[in-house]
Amino acid sequence: MIELKGVTRRFGETVAVDGIDLTIETGEVCVLVGSSGCGKSTTLRMINRLLPRSSGDILVDGEDVNDIDPQALRLNMGYVIQSTGLFPHWTVARNIGLVPDLLKWPARRREQRVNELLTLLGLDPQTDAARFPHQLSGGQAQRVGVARALAGDPNILLMDEPFGALDAITRELLQQEMLRIQKQLNKTTVFVTHDIDEALRLATRIAVMDQGRIIQHDTPEAILRQPASTFVENLLGSGDRGLKLLALRTVGEVMERHPEPRRPASDTTGLNEADSLRVALSAMVWENATQLPVLSKAGCEVGIVKREQLLQVRP
Amino acid sequence: MPVSTAMPNRVIPVLALAALGLVWVLDLGVVLPNRIVAGTGYGLYGATGWAGAFVVTALLLAAGLLATRPVPKRFPVLAVLLTAALMFLPLLLEALATRRLPADSAYARIGIGAGFWSLAFFLALMLTETMHQLKASRHLQLTAALLIILGWWVCARREGLGSLSLLREYNNQADQFTQALSVHLLLSLGAVLISAVLAFILALAMVRRKSWRRPLLGLVSFMQTIPSLALFGLLIAPLAALSEALPVLQALGIRGIGWAPALLALIAYSLLPMVRNTFIALMEVPEAVVDAARGMGMSERQIFFQVKLSLALPVIIEGVRITTIQAIGLTAVAALIGAGGFGTFIFQGLGQAAMDLVLLGALPTVFLALAADAVLSALNVRRAPGD
Ligand SMILES: Nc1ncnc2c1ncn2[C@@H]1O[C@H](COP(=O)(O)OP(=O)(O)O)[C@@H](O)[C@H]1O
Ligand SMILES: [Mg+2]
Repeated sequence: MIELKGVTRRFGETVAVDGIDLTIETGEVCVLVGSSGCGKSTTLRMINRLLPRSSGDILVDGEDVNDIDPQALRLNMGYVIQSTGLFPHWTVARNIGLVPDLLKWPARRREQRVNELLTLLGLDPQTDAARFPHQLSGGQAQRVGVARALAGDPNILLMDEPFGALDAITRELLQQEMLRIQKQLNKTTVFVTHDIDEALRLATRIAVMDQGRIIQHDTPEAILRQPASTFVENLLGSGDRGLKLLALRTVGEVMERHPEPRRPASDTTGLNEADSLRVALSAMVWENATQLPVLSKAGCEVGIVKREQLLQVRP
Repeated sequence: MPVSTAMPNRVIPVLALAALGLVWVLDLGVVLPNRIVAGTGYGLYGATGWAGAFVVTALLLAAGLLATRPVPKRFPVLAVLLTAALMFLPLLLEALATRRLPADSAYARIGIGAGFWSLAFFLALMLTETMHQLKASRHLQLTAALLIILGWWVCARREGLGSLSLLREYNNQADQFTQALSVHLLLSLGAVLISAVLAFILALAMVRRKSWRRPLLGLVSFMQTIPSLALFGLLIAPLAALSEALPVLQALGIRGIGWAPALLALIAYSLLPMVRNTFIALMEVPEAVVDAARGMGMSERQIFFQVKLSLALPVIIEGVRITTIQAIGLTAVAALIGAGGFGTFIFQGLGQAAMDLVLLGALPTVFLALAADAVLSALNVRRAPGD
């Protein structure tokens, strides 16, 4: 658990972070979202003491971070930044093995860990391990960045706009990976972004920031349903709020399940349980259908989802 | 290398034709009645007769022709051919000596002509191009260079070349030559070493303190702008005065002239490239990399050695390379204030109008500079991450 209590940071006259209170529960993904310059990075960097705070308290599992040796603190907090910050003169394997190395793990264990992480992040231990960062695509480099952050098996993950520099398709792919990995590892994560869609997608809870303050701190759904101010409303955008809401739910949550899996009719499009309701609605509009079957991975029809059910998401 | 085997090479034939033209037009060597008097020049034919002229001409034509043919393995063959030609090149001078040197004169000697130098130079260019086409490893290039040096060394030790003026000068001054070599190396490498340490400290200070950057860079740049002779001269008076005042310095051999002012001046010149490269290299380490390193839990010490210094090292070594070559050259000038080294021969030779004595100083200086260049470049290539 990370607790920020009345935390303030000034740079000369500017107040970058203005007395914020924030509690991040163990295992949750807290996304700090807000426009550029609102103090997100500053907040993040005070947690691992890359920046000293001007006043207030920051506690990790009840202990003030200022009482912990900064290196020991950081070794227990994975850190991912937008520009990756990979060491250009080290191979991918050596980059990932950095924290295990600092923790003086035996070579065998470190090597094993590196391979494990390469596989976890969808990289190839055979070919990618020996490459240098300049030989990687942007998406691959950021996968290595995340692998490096996870290598020492830290309890906490700090991510500062990690996917901000990637193209839309790669970004979405990495967001999916991030959700998959988080389901597996349950790291307490603080994730900074200026992209509200990314926030809605990844967050357990979102903290909306403006001018160094937290305007609203709640679940994605609550923020969508009840924005605390016009600032938050503007951030969400008024045009597609309904669709954003649909995007938060999966087909599996609302479908009508058959008692027994069936063989699907051969010509119909099917949905997956993991698809969002937004995807389901889009498919129905495209197919001009009032309902669509839900297929399992094996291709059996396990249920159906009806259009009325989608449209009742906002009660 | 599919491209290079299929395509006719144009560089080598052009170089071969140029060499052919020059070696037929220019004097291959000169026969001098004694050390100072101007001698008689001999062209390729005059110097080596039909046999020699035929071998040289045939070799150049063959090399040029071979390069234009899509023969498999033509570049390995060319590499062997050209290396061998360069190895045995001094035999041409031996032929000149055997054919044209008057037998009755103890003072008569052979001078090296422009034709010989041109041939050596163009053959070296052709070999370089061949190595390039072969994408030869440093290892292979170094082997070829060593073979050529070995060839020249063996030729120089043969009876037939004993009358070569350059070798006569060397034999007259063999002891001084060894002495000059050690002084030259000590002075230039000592200056490089001392200025490297100084430059590192200065560059670190500049990285840490913004306010020191301009004055320090200004100072080292200013020292670089003083002409070398003037700087050597300028140091004489204060050092002489100091040595007068402090007998300890006198005991150490520090005087107004000699190695002390030379070393000081060399260090002064070496500081700019070293400080500038070290400073820029350390400053150019990306901020994000250092941020990530710190964020991952590295100590400042680890960040400095494993990240900053490690990333900066190729640029720092490049600074050392430039400085070393420059220092080796400047040390030759330092002979003017009695510092010793190969410059001694150059200035003696100039004074006596004995060109081969000048060469005895100039050639080893050039050779030292090339060797330093090769070693330090190789060091940097080894460090660069492969792609
Ligand atoms: N090192 C610094 N020196 C001075 N001002 C800074 C520094 N870092 C950040 N700031 C200021 O603090 C504010 C918040 O910055 P930051 O936390 O980086 O914003 P965000 O990450 O949300 O874009 C900005 O106004 C920025 O100009
Ligand atoms: Mg930021």
